[in-house]
Amino acid sequence: MLNVVFYFQVHQPHRLKHLNVLDVGKNIDYFDDHLNGQVMRKVAEKCYLPTNKLLLELIRNNQGRFKVAYSITGTAIEQFKAYSPETLDSFKALVDTGCVELLGETYYHSLAFLYDTNEFLDQVAQHRELMQSEFGYYTQTFRNTELIYQDSLADLVYEIEGFKTIITEGAERILQWRTPLYAYKNYSKDINLLLKYYQLSDDIAFRFSNRDWPEYPLTVDKFVNWIDHLTLAEKEGRNQFLNLFMDYETFGEHQWADSGIFEFMQHFPAEVLKRQHLGFATPKETQELANYQQEALSFPSPVSWADAERDLSAWLSNDMQHNAIETLYRLMDRVKQKGDAQLLEIARKLSTSDHFYYMCTKYFTDGDVHKYFSPYDSPDQAYIYYMNAMADLEERLS
Amino acid sequence: MKILMFTWEFPPLISGGLGMACYGMVRALLALGIKIDLVLPTKEMVYFPLREVSDADTLPAVFVDPVLHKEYIRQSFSTLHERLEYIGISGQPESYLRLSELREFTAAVEKEKWESQFSTVQEREVFADVSAHLTGDEDLIKKVQEYTLRAERFARSLDYNLIHAHDWLTYPAGILAKKISQKPLVLHIHATEFDRAGGPGDERIHKIEHAGLMYADRVIAVSQYTAQMIMSRYRIDTGKIRIVHNAFSLSEESVTAKKRIFKGTTVLFLGRITLQKGPDYFLEVAARVLKEHPDARFIVAGSGDMARKLLRDSAAMRLQNRFLFTGFLNRRQVEDILRAADIYMLPSVSEPFGISPLEAMAFGLTSIISKQSGVAEVVNHAFKIDFWDVELMANTVNHLIENPEKCRKMGLEGMREVNQIHWKEVAEKIRVVYSNTLADYIKSNS
Repeated sequence: MLNVVFYFQVHQPHRLKHLNVLDVGKNIDYFDDHLNGQVMRKVAEKCYLPTNKLLLELIRNNQGRFKVAYSITGTAIEQFKAYSPETLDSFKALVDTGCVELLGETYYHSLAFLYDTNEFLDQVAQHRELMQSEFGYYTQTFRNTELIYQDSLADLVYEIEGFKTIITEGAERILQWRTPLYAYKNYSKDINLLLKYYQLSDDIAFRFSNRDWPEYPLTVDKFVNWIDHLTLAEKEGRNQFLNLFMDYETFGEHQWADSGIFEFMQHFPAEVLKRQHLGFATPKETQELANYQQEALSFPSPVSWADAERDLSAWLSNDMQHNAIETLYRLMDRVKQKGDAQLLEIARKLSTSDHFYYMCTKYFTDGDVHKYFSPYDSPDQAYIYYMNAMADLEERLS
Repeated sequence: MKILMFTWEFPPLISGGLGMACYGMVRALLALGIKIDLVLPTKEMVYFPLREVSDADTLPAVFVDPVLHKEYIRQSFSTLHERLEYIGISGQPESYLRLSELREFTAAVEKEKWESQFSTVQEREVFADVSAHLTGDEDLIKKVQEYTLRAERFARSLDYNLIHAHDWLTYPAGILAKKISQKPLVLHIHATEFDRAGGPGDERIHKIEHAGLMYADRVIAVSQYTAQMIMSRYRIDTGKIRIVHNAFSLSEESVTAKKRIFKGTTVLFLGRITLQKGPDYFLEVAARVLKEHPDARFIVAGSGDMARKLLRDSAAMRLQNRFLFTGFLNRRQVEDILRAADIYMLPSVSEPFGISPLEAMAFGLTSIISKQSGVAEVVNHAFKIDFWDVELMANTVNHLIENPEKCRKMGLEGMREVNQIHWKEVAEKIRVVYSNTLADYIKSNS
């Protein structure tokens, strides 16, 4: 049996205003509420609302056989409440079907794991509380920001009660000859690992509407046939997991409605379920379904799902990014010492990984993606605004 | 006395010290009763007949084409900005952009037409230099070409006693005007290509500067430092050179009272972020000082072609949020940043004058200025240090941070000193240059 495991990332950062040095000390709000509201309403209209409606229908029509997982950040929930409460309601309706798993992560979609263990644990706990209070849901599967993972993350997550599975990128440098179709264990065999099947995930997320792609147009029939082929290699009855992980904004926002992405999704579950040996599962179910001795995989250095490198370079490859994030975590300590809850919330909003992503200077194909997602003219501008926020935050501290 | 004046910058058309200097000088000359017809690199073919001091702010304009002028007079503008927009003054001029990327030369100034104007061998040589070097595809060169060709119309149609041109961009216009009108030419040097480039510079600009200085009747240098530079580099007749230092006057609306942004000592770099201004030395000083005094803040105010490099270098040095960039600032913002700072640094590699330190001192900032500057000749209450002596500059900043009382005292003394420097005296010196030039010219032509 091959189980398609869908996980969708739902995230919106609090984007910064074009802060100037001359704004420092004037007690101004750092975040561009106008822009953030605009983006949220646009994405809700193009993606969240229509996709949620579609998936709710699909779940209802398939009597519990179609399932998906979401990871929804705290900053996204905050902005649903502020700018699109109907979106939050539609997610609640989905969770209420019982066919939706919610994943745990850092509330602020941050890189805290790499810089500040206590802050990381705090943000994970804060997110779990949020899932509990908003959806009445207790998270059991963990996904770190941008699927960043390495062995030490598993050690940390293992210490947190209740997390049994971690999902991450199926990076070739770790898998080597292995396939991401099986569930693995972390290096110390404490935690269940699920790895993104990036080729097929990216066929939907990145290539779906690309007319230069030889496989264009991607039909449901074709895609399910490819999936079917994957089962041929398995002759011992071991359950396979096809992990299709992607940004939720794939639907209607990165791939526009006129690309046919919604029609694709509409017909996909039925085509999968038509075939006896194919089905759907959520990440937390895979542990039970893994009917074999799971191999342990070691990730000595970090992987992520970003860019061609699948490493940390999207957020941490140039001096601006390093200087910015080092400044943030130095200030975070001081904010905590001061015990000012309001400043801590601001500092945490500034810990969202997107701020560092906007400062990325890698060019070529990935640079285009960065540019597409950035609200600023250049990485240097993003850096300047961020550092001015850092300068102001420090003035508020002393 | 009536002057035909060519300049590339004049408020609001301003990118650096040239515009500020011309404004102060022109107002003071007008106050002495000197009439000025000002020519700027406007989109439309206009000149500005300035008669009263207030004209320097209102900029009355005359279109050379009478039909266009009628149309212009019929227009009603609600703001000065709107009117200047109509004439074609907006944004910043590129006067100090470096000319890089030499492309195929195209002789765009009509050589034959020009050549017919010149008679003597020396004149032909001067002109040959200008026309041969005022070539290139860069936008700036094209603008200078157009500006120069227009000078012919102004030179013929206006009535004046003497021509005064500021910096190389307007030298070709000045040369042409002198040739056509047979009126004496005074060239004003605010900066040479040697200062701007911090190295060999653009050959074409050297040639134009040299040709202009050779052909001028008088040359005004803004400092001893600059006079020395043109004597040693261009080897022109030293008898032609007059030194007239710039001045600085605070505008009446300026508020100089401190309004801090940062609690820690704030050290300011204010100017174009280019090689000439030494921003990289400022960064070096910051790195050293911040090791001792992490609460200090270093602010880079301005824009320029080295901004990106400086930004990235500062990040590489991990100066955290202690080394900040404002980007380009308007007048009001410049004053805000001056009010917020304690120490001003001018680490210029080569600074013919440097008005910005005078402004900083007028705001009570303690100033550390490069020895390689003209302004160092006119102020006493400032630290004068070689631009390359990062160690001494850092020690000085450290000392000032550790002795805030001393820093404040030095700032106040500097303020008092700068308040004694007025454009009025500058204008009087220039008037003397004008009358002597005219007298000599009449003598030699009679």
